Amino acid sequence: MEMNEDRKFGLEKSHGDHLSDHSSGVSADWQFNTPAMSAAPPHPSTAASLVPPLTSSPLLSAPVPEAFVPGLWNYHTMSVGGSNIQNTTSAIGSIPIGRPVAMSSKGMLLSTPPVIFPPSLPHFPADSGFIERAARFSCLSGSSFMEMNLLRPSQSVAPARKASKVVMETQVQNTELSMTGDKAVSLPAAYGSIDQSRMDTQRDRRSSHISNSESQETNFCEGGQEGNVDSSDVAGNSSPSDLGANKKKRTIRDMEKDQVQRGPQSSSEATKDDTETKHKVEQNSSKHGGKNGKDNSEAAKEGYVHVRARRGQATNSHSLAERVRREKISERMKYLQELVPGCSKVTGKAVMLDEIINYVQSLQRQVEFLSMKLSAVNPQLDFSVERLLAKNLRHSHGSPLSIAGFSQEMSYPQVYPSQQGLGHAGGSTMVNLSDTYRRTMNTQLPTMSGYKEPSMQMHNPWNEEIIMQMDYDANHPPNAQEINRKPDGFAI
Amino acid sequence: MDSENSACGNPNPNPTLGPSKLMLAFRFLRALSLVHRTTPASSRTCRGRRIERAAYASMAYSAGTGRGWSRAVLRRLHHRARRRAVAPRRLSTTAGNRAEALRQLVPGGAGMDYCTLLEETADYIKCLSMQVELMQGIVDSSSSYGP
Repeated sequence: MEMNEDRKFGLEKSHGDHLSDHSSGVSADWQFNTPAMSAAPPHPSTAASLVPPLTSSPLLSAPVPEAFVPGLWNYHTMSVGGSNIQNTTSAIGSIPIGRPVAMSSKGMLLSTPPVIFPPSLPHFPADSGFIERAARFSCLSGSSFMEMNLLRPSQSVAPARKASKVVMETQVQNTELSMTGDKAVSLPAAYGSIDQSRMDTQRDRRSSHISNSESQETNFCEGGQEGNVDSSDVAGNSSPSDLGANKKKRTIRDMEKDQVQRGPQSSSEATKDDTETKHKVEQNSSKHGGKNGKDNSEAAKEGYVHVRARRGQATNSHSLAERVRREKISERMKYLQELVPGCSKVTGKAVMLDEIINYVQSLQRQVEFLSMKLSAVNPQLDFSVERLLAKNLRHSHGSPLSIAGFSQEMSYPQVYPSQQGLGHAGGSTMVNLSDTYRRTMNTQLPTMSGYKEPSMQMHNPWNEEIIMQMDYDANHPPNAQEINRKPDGFAI
Repeated sequence: MDSENSACGNPNPNPTLGPSKLMLAFRFLRALSLVHRTTPASSRTCRGRRIERAAYASMAYSAGTGRGWSRAVLRRLHHRARRRAVAPRRLSTTAGNRAEALRQLVPGGAGMDYCTLLEETADYIKCLSMQVELMQGIVDSSSSYGP
């Protein structure tokens, strides 16, 4: 039993080359590090020593290792294929706790490579969940198991993204082992698009370590160390192993698709595929928050192609911005539809635009035509003005808002409806108008200085009054002329 | 019109409601009377053009400077008043693209993105329809009283 455990540890913990060398070393390390990591006393057997720390951490650790255990279990059965392994469930459960190893110095970490499956185990399924856990446990430094779990919910999106990157990275590594290597190169580089600042460094690291499988674990560990807190978050995010499985499946499918479509890939294709994958990811990631779903979708999309990954990221933000823009445009089109008469039944942007253009053209033509007409109509202008104003006032009488706004603008020179001149034409109407007007103006502009009773003599110099007012500023001192003094209070 | 008062530099106090009809009426009528006073009776077309410019100016002033199209109209008026009469652009559907045609119609539409263009078009339509109503009212009232 002990031998099996050691062998398993060797398989998981070290590269194929180091199997024999490090198996004992690993166990020794584990025994060595056990007291350092928690208050649990060191146990003679590595497995036993690891179990108490697990059980001693009350909070979240309990469910977590249990979640890991079945996953690990599968791998172990598949990889080792030994039924005797089942007897050591507890030991296996403690396997992923590479923390004792991780807690050692970094040099130790590097020397004892984390769980990276050697190429000799191609059949080993690249379960993202397991890899996450392995990565997390192997590369965590200084953080207790409890802390890891506690930190999980408090992580921000950025670390989550990073973690997902790391996860995908591990997936990449594993899939790389099972599939062609060039694919894998594209995959990790794809993640660079998530966050340029972080990606560049990580991408370099990833590409470097992917290029040579020997140093995989080292680089992986580095990457993992950098995002140890993130990976804890990742583990937390993907603790339900089904999501990890989904991600892995999707990645592999994407890679297969990529294999098929190795040639020129149109952006539309990419967009389509990306949206497809994105939709699927979004469906599956409904459990997590929107952020995580987005990360997963990004990750899944990036699992597509190296070049496309960047555009995938760009497409993502582009699509969002475009969606917003499209919504704005449709909103405005709807508003225009209400404005333009006879457009309610029209559907489609093109026809709507045509209608709008025609309407604007017709309005402009009307203005031109009416202006030509008005050029001929001048006599009795004052008359028409007052009547027009009466009309307007009657219209707006029901809506005092216009008058209020009007008076507030202070730009309306006081109009003195003259009753003398209008005596011969609907005088009664005008009287009412003038009364209404005076009342309105009085109430609206109580602070007007120089306000006097509407002069009855304003009718004749109406035009002059208007013209003179045009030259006045708001600060223009009151003119000596009596005519202009009154409206000066309202001078524009 | 040059004589048009340029004191309305404030953006429209009620942008959502649009310019008040009363304001528009006053401005336009004022300008109209001025045109009638200043231009000789012989040149009808000239007066007509001036009235049209006055209409646009009063529209733009009433709308305030918060609107792109109103600023463009005022800019055009102030710049071209010295050179020649502002000829209203009639060319539009010659442009195959509808957005281009709309840009040519709405003043200042050339430098706008599509989204803003739609917004400005809506406001422009509102002001234009108000102006047309006003002018129609003037014509009707004047015609009812005499030849």
